[in-house]
Amino acid sequence: MYKKTIALILATGLISCSAPEHVSVSGSTTVLPTVSKAADAYRVKTGQVIIVNAGGSGAGFNQLAEGQTDIGMMSRDITPSELDKFQNINFEVVAIGTDAVVPVVSSEIYDAGVTSLTLAQIASIYKGEIENWSSLGGPDQDILVIDKEASSGTRHIFMEYIFGDKFALAKGADLVLGANNEEQTALTQSDSAIGMLSHAWMNSDVIGVALNDGTIKIEPTLDNIRSGKFPITRDLNLIIRTDISPKAKAFVDYILSPEGQNFVAESGYVKNTQ
Amino acid sequence: MLSRHALDKSLTGLIRVAFYISMALLLGLIFAISFRGISAISLNFLFLPARDFGASGGIFYQIFGSVLMVTIAAVLTLPIALGTAIYSSEYMRSNRKKRVLELTLLSLNGIPSITYGIFGLILFVNVLGTGISWLVGSVILAIMMLPTVTLSTVQSMRSLPVTFRENGFALGFSRAEVIRFIVVPQGLQGLVTGLLLGLARAIGETAPIMFIATAFSGVTVPVSVVEPVSTLPTHILALAQQATNPAALKNAWGASFVLLSIVFLLSLSAFYARTRLKNLNQRL
Amino acid sequence: MAEARFLIRKSYSEKSLTKTYATACALLASAIVIIILSVLLSQSGSAILDSGPSLLGTEWNPARNLYGILPMLYGSIIVMMIAMTLALPIGILSALYISETLSEKRRRVAKTALEILTGIPSIVYGLIGVSVLSLWVADIFGLQTGRIILTAGLLLAVMILPTIISLSEDAISNVSTQYRENAYALGLYRYEVIKDVILPQAKGDVIGAGFLALGRALGETMAVMLVIGSLDRIPSPAYNILASGQTITSKLGREVAESAFGSTHFNVLVLMSLILVVLTLSMTLMAHLIFRTTDAHA
Repeated sequence: MYKKTIALILATGLISCSAPEHVSVSGSTTVLPTVSKAADAYRVKTGQVIIVNAGGSGAGFNQLAEGQTDIGMMSRDITPSELDKFQNINFEVVAIGTDAVVPVVSSEIYDAGVTSLTLAQIASIYKGEIENWSSLGGPDQDILVIDKEASSGTRHIFMEYIFGDKFALAKGADLVLGANNEEQTALTQSDSAIGMLSHAWMNSDVIGVALNDGTIKIEPTLDNIRSGKFPITRDLNLIIRTDISPKAKAFVDYILSPEGQNFVAESGYVKNTQ
Repeated sequence: MLSRHALDKSLTGLIRVAFYISMALLLGLIFAISFRGISAISLNFLFLPARDFGASGGIFYQIFGSVLMVTIAAVLTLPIALGTAIYSSEYMRSNRKKRVLELTLLSLNGIPSITYGIFGLILFVNVLGTGISWLVGSVILAIMMLPTVTLSTVQSMRSLPVTFRENGFALGFSRAEVIRFIVVPQGLQGLVTGLLLGLARAIGETAPIMFIATAFSGVTVPVSVVEPVSTLPTHILALAQQATNPAALKNAWGASFVLLSIVFLLSLSAFYARTRLKNLNQRL
Repeated sequence: MAEARFLIRKSYSEKSLTKTYATACALLASAIVIIILSVLLSQSGSAILDSGPSLLGTEWNPARNLYGILPMLYGSIIVMMIAMTLALPIGILSALYISETLSEKRRRVAKTALEILTGIPSIVYGLIGVSVLSLWVADIFGLQTGRIILTAGLLLAVMILPTIISLSEDAISNVSTQYRENAYALGLYRYEVIKDVILPQAKGDVIGAGFLALGRALGETMAVMLVIGSLDRIPSPAYNILASGQTITSKLGREVAESAFGSTHFNVLVLMSLILVVLTLSMTLMAHLIFRTTDAHA
């Protein structure tokens, strides 16, 4: 009698340990809104369950490489050291859209007149050399310099542009945050902050400054991003392994399709084909 | 130097002020959460899934995930806690060894919750290769609950008067039968109390499960054990990072209120169990 | 006759079953803490070898192989100190009020309320911190952001307050009424009874309560992680608690998911966790050792 119950328990255990039916996606919080919306729609359309998780570009890559997720979301390229750690796996990078990383300031600063900054100025702020907005034509307030976590895709792109080095240390940083959400929150809560934010997260409290390259001021608008005029851009990537499951591949294809691309535009990014 | 009378008055005043500060802080906390949270609660909120990063929709699957994980955690802890309690109370003779066992269990309480998360990540998700799994989350929560449940059970077993056991032996029961029919029923009171207290703590934990058992969206009811679930605490964490979005914030308070209510319910049940069950057994 | 023989045979086999079961459980329960420590040790050992010298530095930049853990250690300790400085006096004084002034009925109500209050999940504190407390702190001190070391300390103080009050109150009430009655009969004022009779006796358990609270303050993650600012730096005058900082728990909470399992980055994080465990475990064990010794005397 006991043998039968044990057998039953083992069988249930084995069955429930078998490969799950769902597709899981995790990583960059910049890519997340698009994929989340697409996942919802995809589920309604095909009944396929897609589980979406945040964590940041770095976490997304790690989980993908370690086999814990089917698709990784990254708002940057895979770094050489990351590839080094997983030399026996082949990765494929699928760009689903383009986004810009914009230097953003609190709305109070923008309204006070700081509507554009030069590269050198931004670099000085992040190095800690400029500490007050008054030196930049703004009000007499200390600059709250907001930085992001080191493996954030947004940060890599920003630092590469400002310092020429993805991994530069920002000596002047006052606060370090994670997801785009969190950063947007902190920028809103302060009235003299500067930060690096994905274009889609700008709102009336968090305004992107134009980049002043000496002659012209490049506004962070969708048109400028699309045309390539705004220089700080990056591809929004889905990273997959070459041994990806067909179900996951189908979802990737969906996002690349016109229907899926609509979600990219809805989230405030630039579609692939544009 | 002040007179003795004046000093006495001052100290009495001081401790009263301290008490009022404490009560103001702690009760103010509860009221703030309830006040902000209740406005978010509706039948929709409780029974619909979350949308838009949680800024709209409800928290149904989060409630489900939390309840599922702690229920299974309780199921896992119960037998081990009971067995350990029986061993300590009935089979261990040396007081020193009992003390060592007690300290070993208490040291489990001294491990920070994030370390449990890292432990689960290393051992289960990576070395044993289970991946993100809600069952692993339950296992970790079960380990965290073990000391509370075991020690509570041991305490109630110890409170059994020696005569009860002696009567059992006199009637010809073997040790195992004395344990099964006399000691364990007495211990049940402590077991239930400990379990409820442990559950109250476990359901509110975020750090142990946030990287081994949970996902943010898309999760409904898991069909296998190697899947993540959404839970109330991790949902609140995600919402807390959007604190300036009023809709998200409102939902965060709502989820907090729901979580707090469940924790309070479990704690109150534990007190109920502690007082009522104790009398019940004695009457039998 | 047959029943009796059946009873005897059954109870022999059952005896070994129950005993085996109980022994197995006890062994498992005792082994768990050792398993946890070994697992942590296994993943952190190489961290010392790979990045030894940089560990004692103050710069944390995994991409450049710099793993200075000092800012995290410093932050954890400062935050814990702020919390204890605030919560310990208020807690013990409140416990005195409950134990010495309140009627028995009110005391029971207060104790029950406190036990429930200790159950508030830490993430809820985190939510309050990020949406209420940090904004208040920023307003009061005129800062740009309230995500600073002070806020984390304040939040933690409120978190550990119920625990301190509850345990101290237990310690104080445990002092036998006889001592109190004798003291009052001798004409001592309440504060003198407290100062010279009760506190010396309760001292041990109260110190134990303090250690437990300390352990909890060091090990708290969620509340601290959201309000500390996550800046891996020791503030420039080191005592500047109005600056952002970093604690061990906050670092772990934010970076563990981002580091690859098996990498030096991951190993150093596990090493930090191990250091944390050693600290909190010693606090907890010391507290319980103290509790028992005072019990033995009573």
